[in-house]
Amino acid sequence: MNVLLGSLLVYLVGALTIIWPKKLELTAHYAGMLCAVAASGMTAFSGIAYLIMPKSALLIDASWGSYSLIADGWSGVFVSITGIAGFFISIYALDYAKGYLGKRIRALTGLWNLFLLSITAVLLAGDAFTFIVAWEIMALVSFLLVNHEAGNKDTVAAAYQYMVMTHLGTAAILIAFYLLGSHSASFSFADMMHNNLDGIMRHIAFLCAFAGFALKSGLMPLHIWLPNAHPAAPSHVSALMSGVMLKVALYGFGRFVFQFIGMDVFWYGLLVMLVGLVSAFLAVLYGTMEVDMKRILAYSSVENMGIIFAAFGCGMVLMSMNLAPLAVVAFTAAMVHAFSHSLMKGLMFMSAGAVMHAVGSKNIEKMGGLIKKMPYTAFFTLIGAMALSSMPFTSGLIGEWLVLQSFITLAQQAGTPELRLLVIFAFIMLGLTGAAALGCFVRLYGIAFLGRPRSHIVENAHEQPFFMLLGMGIAAFLVVAAGVVPDPVVNVMQSVVAGPLSTPMGGAFGIIWGGSGHYAVYSPVLILALAILLGIFIAAIFIGTTRGFVRRDVTWNCGTYPTSRQQYTATGFSKPLRRAFGTILNPQRHTEYLRKDHDYYGRKMKFYLEIPDLFTEKLYKPVQTWMIASSSAFRHIQEGSVSLYIGYTMLAMIFVLIWGVL
Amino acid sequence: MEYLVVFLVLVVFLQTRITNLRRAVICLASQSVIISIACFGLGLSSGSGLHALLPGILTLAVKVIFIPGAVWNLVGKLTNEREILSESNVNYSTMAAALFLVMGYAIVERLLPGSAGRDIIAASILMIMTGLSLMVLRKRAIIQIVGLITLENGIYLLGLLMTEGLPLVVELGVFLDVLIAVVVLVILTSRMRLSFMTTDTSVMKKLKG
Repeated sequence: MNVLLGSLLVYLVGALTIIWPKKLELTAHYAGMLCAVAASGMTAFSGIAYLIMPKSALLIDASWGSYSLIADGWSGVFVSITGIAGFFISIYALDYAKGYLGKRIRALTGLWNLFLLSITAVLLAGDAFTFIVAWEIMALVSFLLVNHEAGNKDTVAAAYQYMVMTHLGTAAILIAFYLLGSHSASFSFADMMHNNLDGIMRHIAFLCAFAGFALKSGLMPLHIWLPNAHPAAPSHVSALMSGVMLKVALYGFGRFVFQFIGMDVFWYGLLVMLVGLVSAFLAVLYGTMEVDMKRILAYSSVENMGIIFAAFGCGMVLMSMNLAPLAVVAFTAAMVHAFSHSLMKGLMFMSAGAVMHAVGSKNIEKMGGLIKKMPYTAFFTLIGAMALSSMPFTSGLIGEWLVLQSFITLAQQAGTPELRLLVIFAFIMLGLTGAAALGCFVRLYGIAFLGRPRSHIVENAHEQPFFMLLGMGIAAFLVVAAGVVPDPVVNVMQSVVAGPLSTPMGGAFGIIWGGSGHYAVYSPVLILALAILLGIFIAAIFIGTTRGFVRRDVTWNCGTYPTSRQQYTATGFSKPLRRAFGTILNPQRHTEYLRKDHDYYGRKMKFYLEIPDLFTEKLYKPVQTWMIASSSAFRHIQEGSVSLYIGYTMLAMIFVLIWGVL
Repeated sequence: MEYLVVFLVLVVFLQTRITNLRRAVICLASQSVIISIACFGLGLSSGSGLHALLPGILTLAVKVIFIPGAVWNLVGKLTNEREILSESNVNYSTMAAALFLVMGYAIVERLLPGSAGRDIIAASILMIMTGLSLMVLRKRAIIQIVGLITLENGIYLLGLLMTEGLPLVVELGVFLDVLIAVVVLVILTSRMRLSFMTTDTSVMKKLKG
């Protein structure tokens, strides 16, 4: 029996947790999560086995009535991503979700299985109908998971916002499927590949597909649900949503672009690239301003999806210039970065969950010095933070390096000055994004884990249980492994895009890309060897000079002892960026006097800083105002008077009669 | 038949000018009498037996006796029998009816040129539109019921002419429909009289949330 189908079955068994008796809640949770672990492992195994083996047949090809499951290499990549991320996040959830004991834990575990099942089903769908059904189940289940802590008002608001937004996206995707399907023999993907949609309708289909999938992957300006939904959901759910669900949108968009719509129109790629770049930069800027740990990570997801889509758009532009051999690097970059983002964002959300579990708050202003209380978590978080700010020896850099290579390739091939200017703009955006991301994660890690405790909640912090650490450990190991030995990942991704016969970019030495005229090489092994040598050298010098005399003392502070209030705050740390990009961020300071008895003493004031979201203010609120205004205009037509309604019928009848006569 | 059409048009025009509720009911009954005579005429000319007579008998029983009788009873319970209307509103109704008549003939000329029942079709279009306009323009529930029956008569006449005898089941169904609608309307109107002391439908706007 097919391993992949078996894994779907195991997910279904796991979903049965919902109907277990209430007395056996904990057993139900363990059984359900173990099902998820096993099934994810099976999914990952079949996906990776398919990708490594020579791809002659399809990964899966089955159909029941009008439903069909067909998976090729492109699905295989995302099936592997889902399997791997699902595997380690489910292990983590074994312990983490125990915190929901007595708070509908059976529903949480059952829906978790269903969520993984629906994601896999989207990736395996072989026709538009199956795709949409699975897509909607995924949206619905993720809505229920976000809404799990429904007692909290903010959670409910965030969940419903997510629901509304995701349905707008589904509507756009439905339009795109309808337009393509009505111009092909049937709605199966194999037939839709040979559609004859042309002209303006093709543009509309592309725009609808892009809008729908961009919404799901949280590209600006359709991202507004994402920074609200991720913090509201339980941490393992946010890890899976951010790590995997956003990639599913990339999968769908890739299928549309590669197979249904094509890449021959230049501005398609340009649009995708620009939206990606702008999202990447603005998201990391907003992320740096946040003090809520999970909101920072949510914005970072928008940033990384922006980078992925920018690389994808770069590939589309190269394809429209008939440079298929060079476009390979861009698509490989998008996929490698998608893979590494699923690892590192999964890891970071898991560690955010661990920190929340330990201190009971998401606000990093109240943390500090956590490294002493929870050293393992701190170590894994450091790896995740390094990866997200694309440091060497982590998988984050591999993706970013390939993204930069793809833009350099585009710069080499840019024939017109306009395109060159655009590529320069892209480099500026990518550079700003990378620098700001580094700042963002130095801030996150430094404020939360280093320094002194900023409030008493840190005192009760404790190291996390075994399975949570194991889940984070696996993710951290994969991040480092893919960062030090990148060639297997890169080669597999490249062979999916370019076919198994192309010269692989990765070798034992590192990654080599010769498309941009000169050879560019990134070899983590070499850098590692160099770093170790340098380290030994420096250590030797120090051992030579210091004579074992160490004196420990408190930091000198002009004669007073330093307190935790003298440390950098998270808000203070991001102040320079807030000043530099004040025109975009438009920070609003509010001062409120709580008590003012006397001019000079006894005053109490409250000071808070608000960063309004640019798109909410400039796009969503005007649309909302306009909609409310136009609905009240429609109210005049719909007065509630029966005579008026009969009058409308009469007018319509007269009109039809006259029209029939004419 | 041509005389019948003349009478029918006359009655319909009269209906647009009547403000007294009792007179409106009498007008409705006479309109239905004309329709039933037309039914008998058409039925006997095309066939014989019970099926030929049934539409006429049913029209007589339901639209001449039962419905006007029920409305008449209802009017008897009302204290204020006149509908307060400005003269211009009545004039507009009449003018609209005249326009509908012209429109009916224009439609017949264009859609069914040279058909035998040209006058009857035009008259039925006139009845349909006038019934609608009575329901829209007038405020009193009684007059609106009269408008509904006028509309129904027009549709029935048109159907009778076009199909030359409907199947028995369909005819029975149509009459049952009208009967039930009128029963419900009469009940609602008398409830309205009890609650609001009037049958002016504009007071119903108070019920809006």
